[in-house]
Amino acid sequence: MNIQILDSWLKEHIETGAKPPDISKCLSLSSVSVERMEKTDSDYLYDIEITTNRADLMSIAGIARELSAVLPQYGFKARLIEESLRRHVKFENKSDLLEIKMDESLVNRVTAVVMEVKANNSPDFIKNRLEKSDIRSLNNLIDITNYIMREVGHPAHVFDLDRLNTKKLIIRASRSGETITTLDEKTHVLKGGDIVAEDERGRIVDLLGIMGLKNSVVTDKTSKILLFLDNNNPQLIRKTSLALGIRSEAAILNEKGVDPELITPTILKGIELYEKYANGKVVGNILDIYPNKPEIKKITARKKRISDVIGVDIDEKTLTSILENLSFEVENAKDIIRVTVPSFRVNDVRIEEDIIEEVARVYGYHKIPVLLPPIKQKKASNLQKNKFYWENRVKDAFKYWGFNEVYTYSMISENLFEGPIDTAVKILNPLSEEHVFMRRTLIPSLLEVVRNNYSDNLMLFEIANVYLKKKGDLPEEVQHLAGVIKKNSNRIFFEAKGIIEQLFNDLGIESYAFKNRSEGGAGADVFIKNRQVGDIEFLEEGLVNFELHFENLISFATMKKVYKPIPEYPPVIEDIRVEAKKEVPYEKIVFVMSSQSNLVSNVELFDEYENKMTFRITYQDRTKSLSNEDVTPIREKIISALKTKLKAKVG
Amino acid sequence: MQADTVDEVNSIYVDFLGKSGKLTKELKNLKKIPEDRRPEVGRLANEIKSTIEEVIRDKKQELKKGEGKKRVEKLDITRPGIKPNLGSLHLVTHAVREISQIFEGIGFSRVAYPEVEWDWYAFEALNFPEDHPARDEWETFFIDTEPDKKLGPMILTPHTSSGQVREMLNIVKSSSGKQIAPIRMLNLAKCYRRQSDVSHTEMFHQFEGLVVDEGITISHLKGVLEHFVKSYFGKDRKARIRPYQFQFTEPSFEVDLSCGICNGRGCRLCKEGWLEMGGAGMVHPNVLRAGKIDPERYTGFAFGWGVERVLMMKEGLNLPDLRLIYSNRIEFLKQF
Repeated sequence: MNIQILDSWLKEHIETGAKPPDISKCLSLSSVSVERMEKTDSDYLYDIEITTNRADLMSIAGIARELSAVLPQYGFKARLIEESLRRHVKFENKSDLLEIKMDESLVNRVTAVVMEVKANNSPDFIKNRLEKSDIRSLNNLIDITNYIMREVGHPAHVFDLDRLNTKKLIIRASRSGETITTLDEKTHVLKGGDIVAEDERGRIVDLLGIMGLKNSVVTDKTSKILLFLDNNNPQLIRKTSLALGIRSEAAILNEKGVDPELITPTILKGIELYEKYANGKVVGNILDIYPNKPEIKKITARKKRISDVIGVDIDEKTLTSILENLSFEVENAKDIIRVTVPSFRVNDVRIEEDIIEEVARVYGYHKIPVLLPPIKQKKASNLQKNKFYWENRVKDAFKYWGFNEVYTYSMISENLFEGPIDTAVKILNPLSEEHVFMRRTLIPSLLEVVRNNYSDNLMLFEIANVYLKKKGDLPEEVQHLAGVIKKNSNRIFFEAKGIIEQLFNDLGIESYAFKNRSEGGAGADVFIKNRQVGDIEFLEEGLVNFELHFENLISFATMKKVYKPIPEYPPVIEDIRVEAKKEVPYEKIVFVMSSQSNLVSNVELFDEYENKMTFRITYQDRTKSLSNEDVTPIREKIISALKTKLKAKVG
Repeated sequence: MQADTVDEVNSIYVDFLGKSGKLTKELKNLKKIPEDRRPEVGRLANEIKSTIEEVIRDKKQELKKGEGKKRVEKLDITRPGIKPNLGSLHLVTHAVREISQIFEGIGFSRVAYPEVEWDWYAFEALNFPEDHPARDEWETFFIDTEPDKKLGPMILTPHTSSGQVREMLNIVKSSSGKQIAPIRMLNLAKCYRRQSDVSHTEMFHQFEGLVVDEGITISHLKGVLEHFVKSYFGKDRKARIRPYQFQFTEPSFEVDLSCGICNGRGCRLCKEGWLEMGGAGMVHPNVLRAGKIDPERYTGFAFGWGVERVLMMKEGLNLPDLRLIYSNRIEFLKQF
């Protein structure tokens, strides 16, 4: 939440030589962030982001108090100007004018006073300060409630007492279905459990802590008011405010938890302003019902621990003055300090570490030296088992083979989910229908990318997790590698196969095989050492995809390098043309040829024309140079085997 | 000899020494010469023949050299090269690699923990109160399954901080004796939040640093932060820490980076010269306790920053909408 305040208003509460840019910088570095500082006429406007734990800083007085602790640490003198509010009216828990009954689990404190007033426009300084604070000025009666909230810190409400017309207010939880009309003329149906006040006739007259109601709001004709400050259960305020969508200043503040002690100075300031700017006269006493006082705690902090965590020795004088300027009471003992937390910080400061934070931030994080943590012996990790290493290597390979890497969402729509939908890990509260199920395969996401790109030539890949549902436990997250090739080519399947073969070669994986798919359409299942690690799917002419279980794959990858002696004698290389029947697989032809002698060291397809294949045969003997007399019988054996075993034509 | 090309030389050769060349014919006439003079004439003829051959060989070589030179002179180097294949890595991969390398250089090790996580690791163990807004269904994705009795509802982790307590428990388990091995973790992973706009995507990446050891102070956090900022953004960018509030750290900091557009002077895109980079802080004692680490003996710090966020804060990228990163338009992918 943010607060906008004028420098001139702030300076009524603190005397300092620090200039607005200094104030911005010191606040940002040691307290709350000044997101913007603007010059306006002869003044400055600060726009400050207040963290949710510091509702006590949502006021001029709070910021001034904080500055009185922070500025001295930056070498600026700063003195808090405490206002002496007249206490000519008594606080009593009963009043002749009004009886209030309330439920202590809903409300911590209610304080109210009746005043005779005259409605009018607000003086210019009030209008200006409110408008600069982003609060609309309406009339003096309403403006004063906003002004005291901004200046002192507690939200306040004002009723037209004549329109209220009751001797009694009952504060209770709403019942489901009750309707109200707020002062902005919007009608709301309550869900129940909201904090409301009803009059003696059972009419709801206030939605506490959030917004006043149309039926009792002040008008230009109002002559008698009830100034009403209520401190409520913050969780209930948040629930109602979010459910009804009423995000008023008061609601935003109240849901963070405001210090009920603040009611006293806030209402006194309010009375003073009504007296000054609305011809106000107090009628009777101040009614003050206060069942839940903040619990004041003492925290013990060890001096050594404070210095140990900050990394700097903080001397006792600095320590004490920082905390005292922040309104903590400090008792010094030998090794420890005992700190009493002010009422407005009890929800935020609870343990020793909180005290350390208070000291460290005001001392100044910028003054703490910059050091790298000492390098100590850690457990050595084996690079071979480091999946990030392999991930990088594989990604580089794909990049240099011409693939573009994509990142697609882990969540997919029902349309893209493959397999029975009850095997899906499902999101209960998705943001859109596109992202409901955690995917079990990467391919549908990649194909969607293909569809969304109007290109005939695409090579895409991704490495990401898939999610496999497990009963009563977190899903198994498995890293997959997937790719898709779209290209105008009738050899596209073999491009995908070639990519996988070269990937395995690069990773040092030797015993792999491609087998016909056990299910689905055309393509191949990919095996390493008889374990399936993935598949290639030939989707249609010009579109092929593949997906591999990346973690299984890299479990076979190796960094081991084995040197095989380079042959000393030259090989004999010759080509042979084979015309086999269509149903004879290539693999079988190669097998027949290479199994005829162990001097055949390699057989590979060299050229292909229609169904005539030219194979290049390498003969190699590691112990001598081969002569024509050595090779001829092998060649004849190969030719005869091709003819008899495969019924192939050779020549 | 008068010849400009190898072909011309060849034709001269054929003219003299070819099957029906002038010299060849003359040599055939040798038989007509009286027997006693034949050896002398024969020797002479062979000498002439080899001299001619030599002249021709030399001329050929000379001409070949010249022709080679001419070919080089004709080379049009402005024609396109024959390029090997080049694809691209995703922008996030580039950032992940840079970040990992920077932290590995100062002793951090990368880990991976579940993206689908129990509430306990993501919130409860991190000291989040039960009614904290981050735990409600407006901000966090919930999985449609029965909650675990001890670990609570199943969610998509909204931050890499859920790896903190997992790492602590792992290290404690694998350490022998009472001394635990120092923790220097880099958890870089996918995270998920219910938000999608110009600067948010439902899925994004965070990197989480966690250091736990004896004697770790705010100074060390500042050291690591400084190292990262200078390494990743360059020596001209500055970082600062200022007070903030997080449940799982105490003290908590917001880390700001000086604006790269205005150099810290203040402009439309920054807050008084600073950009918010992300949160950090000293590990809360309750979090150490959840990780079975004694907060009296050990202290630590943690930080969790958005990968896409630091990417966007780098000078020059000029990405107008974060969602472009996950659009997977080929024109986008090919740029990186």
